[in-house]
Amino acid sequence: MMTREETTTAVLKDPQVLNESTELMNGSHAVIRALLAEGVDTIFGYPGGAIMPVYDAIYDYQDHVNHILVRHEQGAGHAAEGYARLSGKVGVCLVTSGPGATNLITAIADAIIDSTPMVCVVGQVAKHLLGTDAFQETDVIGVTMPITKWNFQITSADEVPEVMAKAFYVARAGRPGPVLIDITKNAQSEMMTKPFKYDFCHKLPGYHPRLVPKREHVEAAATLINGAKRPFLLFGHGVKLAGAEKELLELVEKTGIPCASTLLGLSSVPVNHPLYAGWLGMHGNYSTNRLTNECDVLIGIGLRFDDRVTGDVTRYAKQAKIVHIEIDPAEVDKVVKAHAPVVGDAKEALRMLTPLLNPNSHEEWHAKFKELDAEEEEAITIPELSANTEKIKMAEVVRMLSDKTKGEAVIVADVGQHQMVAARYYEFKRNNSFITSGGLGTMGYALPAAFGAKVGDPEREVVAIIGDGCFQMTIQELGTIAQSGLPVKAIILNNNYLGMVRQWQQLFFEKRYSFVELQNPDFITIARGFGVDGHTCDQRENLSDSLDKMLASDKPYLLEVIVEKEENVFPMVASGASVAEIRLR
Amino acid sequence: MTSYTICVFTENTFGLLNKITIIFTRRRINIESLTVSETERKGISRFTIVIKEESRETVEKVVRQIRKVVEVLAVFGYLNDEVVYNEIALFKIPTPEGAKRLDIETVNKTYKAWVVYWGLEYVVIEKTGTEEEIFDFFNYIKPHGILEFVRSGRVAVSKSSRSLVEYLPEEEKYDYLSYN
Repeated sequence: MMTREETTTAVLKDPQVLNESTELMNGSHAVIRALLAEGVDTIFGYPGGAIMPVYDAIYDYQDHVNHILVRHEQGAGHAAEGYARLSGKVGVCLVTSGPGATNLITAIADAIIDSTPMVCVVGQVAKHLLGTDAFQETDVIGVTMPITKWNFQITSADEVPEVMAKAFYVARAGRPGPVLIDITKNAQSEMMTKPFKYDFCHKLPGYHPRLVPKREHVEAAATLINGAKRPFLLFGHGVKLAGAEKELLELVEKTGIPCASTLLGLSSVPVNHPLYAGWLGMHGNYSTNRLTNECDVLIGIGLRFDDRVTGDVTRYAKQAKIVHIEIDPAEVDKVVKAHAPVVGDAKEALRMLTPLLNPNSHEEWHAKFKELDAEEEEAITIPELSANTEKIKMAEVVRMLSDKTKGEAVIVADVGQHQMVAARYYEFKRNNSFITSGGLGTMGYALPAAFGAKVGDPEREVVAIIGDGCFQMTIQELGTIAQSGLPVKAIILNNNYLGMVRQWQQLFFEKRYSFVELQNPDFITIARGFGVDGHTCDQRENLSDSLDKMLASDKPYLLEVIVEKEENVFPMVASGASVAEIRLR
Repeated sequence: MTSYTICVFTENTFGLLNKITIIFTRRRINIESLTVSETERKGISRFTIVIKEESRETVEKVVRQIRKVVEVLAVFGYLNDEVVYNEIALFKIPTPEGAKRLDIETVNKTYKAWVVYWGLEYVVIEKTGTEEEIFDFFNYIKPHGILEFVRSGRVAVSKSSRSLVEYLPEEEKYDYLSYN
């Protein structure tokens, strides 16, 4: 992967796309030039009336930027997210005004809660029509205010370079997030009054995230950690976003502190690492949840103590002193009060912290984890993986996929039971390998996000794990995938139910199954209709061959696996329960 | 409930008021008063927001949330005794023939309020002071009948001896959106 500087230099060498021009150009060309200057190689988009001038400009730049035509703007948004999550670059969407923009809303909301860098360029009616209820006019700035890291309306061509530079800076700096640029049609078509000149934005008066933490804060954290008898380290998405996986391992290996991951932190530490204790939260591991309430120092790195992680927060780690390392100051003390807050980038913080920590091994403490792990193995994992049920179990599919891909594939999970099963049973051995909608829980995320991820890093094997409900929310993106020809693999775990809702109705609503059973279409026929090959597996003895066939394909492939109709995901911290009350059944 | 005065310094751009107030909406905090004006530095606006809130922690969380808005340059939160504050109120009082005469001396000397406009059948009285002082005067003047009453909302300066704009980034650094 090229760094931003390298891509920019590459672009600079090409006369057609110099980031300085002597000729005057219109706003649309300036938009594309700005994207190229930022090193953008891919745009996920959908044209329409109010964005046509920009689409006309793209026509001239097809050798420089890969525009991917999605089938629905939400697909563009999730594809850009998947692209950003895997490549580490900013995902870019280009859509029209009104419905084009509102279709993007779910993906923007998803990106802000999961800290995904994204720049959405959205068409808008001409300046003189603003506020008149013109055709396809929506107040997109108003609508996206609470779900963007920043938004801005461009109404004249001259504004384009500065605003685009600011957009990319804000999207990627500090805690990343989505930025929306609403550009009126006149600003796209009118000529700039001065030659295009692109100056990168490196800081803003009102936005200067602290990367290097204050030394005294790191020292206070080190003192707490060094004094701990039963320290426990939790890491989240922030570790991956900071590229601090190596620094994290250095810390745990030096100190012997057991570490556990949030949903979005998964794969930052390989599951077979002896100091990796497992996954946290509602369907996380038995030991990690139970022992959260027994540790004496809890070290949270790059996470926001989401309610799916903490359970009842009034009974969450009350016995522990909390160290919270986090780049976003608004997250510190938001949910869990920190005794030693450290505001800064995870990588910088760990580099400063680890040298101050004493070597240790915490053997007795580790033994407690192992004890509870054994209980979980026996109660859940072994039975799930050696089932002799009539139908296949989701866990078997995921674990077999894990074995066949040596734990090195990129797993893109949708939202629901299959997501939790993917997180539980895939044995991640390589970092940056799990992409899912964590904070927003957006059904329909996986298919477009998996596609975007594959575009972001075509060298990696990308497998989407999708429920039958989720699949039908963004099923049209099969068309995008087919048109690209990229070998994106998707597995539908089909139980003909909205499985997680059904599980809750079974456990907490006296089995009153209210609108959770689906009459599904023939997914394979549909896929073939789109030009994507696939087949269905409904027998345990065919599962291995089925996965082999899917993985061997050099084209997009859909594997539908018919699974147990009413299986439940355990362990589980019931809603409102304490993490210590995690149930095995 | 405790009163808090939150001073927000921002760039002067479209929609910023909205970006700030939705943060209060989301946390269901009612804004008691809000004023916006340009500061001693050109291009920088100052919001003075008064809220009543039980928990200081919640106020601190809101302050941190406001700091996240990209155009926001600085946010300060104060208790009442940490600021010098005032507001202004205008009262439109009817003065029809034969009505009880206004005791201008009391209005001036006791309540430090001034008649700023004489209409044919009414006067407009201006009263500056704290919310309490304004309501004292309100109660005094009420028997005359009140045609219109409006308060400006609180303006406040901190009791710190430093200028708050000293905490802001240097002038040339925020002047980058030249087209505004």
